[in-house]
Amino acid sequence: MKAKTSHSLIALSTTALALPGIAIADAPPVASTLSYKISNYKEDDLRREESPFGELERYDIDVHQFQLIAPVGRDFSLQIDANYEDLSGASPWFTTLGPDGSPIVNLSGASGIQDRRAELSIGSRYYLENGSIGGNIGYSEEDDYRATYGGLSAERNFNNDLTTFSVGLSYSADDIFPVDAEIFNRVVSENKTSTSAVVNVSQVLNQVSTIQVALSVTEQAGFLTDPYKLRDNRPDEKTQVAVTSSYRRFIRWADAAWHINYRYYDDDFGVSSQTIDMSWHQNLGRSFQLIPTLRYYSQTAANFFTNVDDFTRPDTDFQSSDYRLSAFGAFSGGLSLKADLGGWRTTLTLERYIADEKYAAHEVELPSTALVRYFRVSAGVDFSF
Amino acid sequence: MSRVLKPFLIILALANVAACTQVQPWQRGYLAKEEMAWKTDPLESALNDHIFFSKEASSGGSSAAGGGCGCN
Repeated sequence: MKAKTSHSLIALSTTALALPGIAIADAPPVASTLSYKISNYKEDDLRREESPFGELERYDIDVHQFQLIAPVGRDFSLQIDANYEDLSGASPWFTTLGPDGSPIVNLSGASGIQDRRAELSIGSRYYLENGSIGGNIGYSEEDDYRATYGGLSAERNFNNDLTTFSVGLSYSADDIFPVDAEIFNRVVSENKTSTSAVVNVSQVLNQVSTIQVALSVTEQAGFLTDPYKLRDNRPDEKTQVAVTSSYRRFIRWADAAWHINYRYYDDDFGVSSQTIDMSWHQNLGRSFQLIPTLRYYSQTAANFFTNVDDFTRPDTDFQSSDYRLSAFGAFSGGLSLKADLGGWRTTLTLERYIADEKYAAHEVELPSTALVRYFRVSAGVDFSF
Repeated sequence: MSRVLKPFLIILALANVAACTQVQPWQRGYLAKEEMAWKTDPLESALNDHIFFSKEASSGGSSAAGGGCGCN
């Protein structure tokens, strides 16, 4: 009896050391997992009143994601990620005043855009008695864009493994070389860098809940302008700061986990935003899980945003009619169904996203045309071996 | 910056107060459940981060950023 109790304690202690809710874990994964997810992302067409001339069809993107996570020896893990995207459609080119005095948008070229993006990232982690250190490098390439990046992170558990402190650093060097540069008088080749640091603290609150708070700072420098816009000029430096707080609670009577995340963001383009998202992970028996999600986002406009391009201003003046720099709000909701079939797990996800200036948490001075609405469907499979 | 740091420090202080509660290793069964992970589906999280990064002005979260893209 005594020996049996001891084994139970060891098993429970081992479980506690690998708490996914607390940390990455103090040990490599016990099995290798190979994952694949295919997604279709489709933006709604513009309405004719938003774009009286030309194309209305926006982006349609197929995304393939692959991931392998495997233990290597007793103290290391290996992670390989590969992504491939195939996109077609059109994006806003310039904005003008319409016949009724409202801003209208003109989409890029009658033939639209065709592009592909391929990305490969390789990372490894070394596990210590009370934490881990890791790093990764990656490369992403498109017809007109190339990014080379890397990152380092470390975490340490304290307080009887109830508190985890982690730090991360990343750096990305990106090259931009727009297509048809000479025809449309675009820049031929430019570059930018992004340096990011994050500090993260996780804390177990009680037997069923944990909280995490993180502070991230990103410095961007170089060419931050959109070269495909007819008139777009942005500062060549940007500092972004975000505070994220996450809470997880297991609801025993419902056999479900409740997730809630909040982020406050601020940058020196003048954009600040708030994001709150929630999900409910409902277990259905031992093999199925249903996960409804809800997200709300609201941002202010950049200082130099205009909803009608002003071609009379000098080229050196900062201005952009990029809808992503306008003030707006967005709601999105999704539903995922997971099924565990032995070593296999399948996931089906549906998501709808609607951005509108009416959803902003504050009054919008310059509403933008061409705010995005999209529908996404994803199917994934994980195989553990 | 102080607008951002203030809520960060408040949440951190609250979490520290809560840290006084001791949860023993054998009481952590619910916390160890997979659905309690910060990211229960890493590919889903990565895809969502990528989409929101492309369609909204904000980025940054609980982990360091990866590479950029020409997504517009």
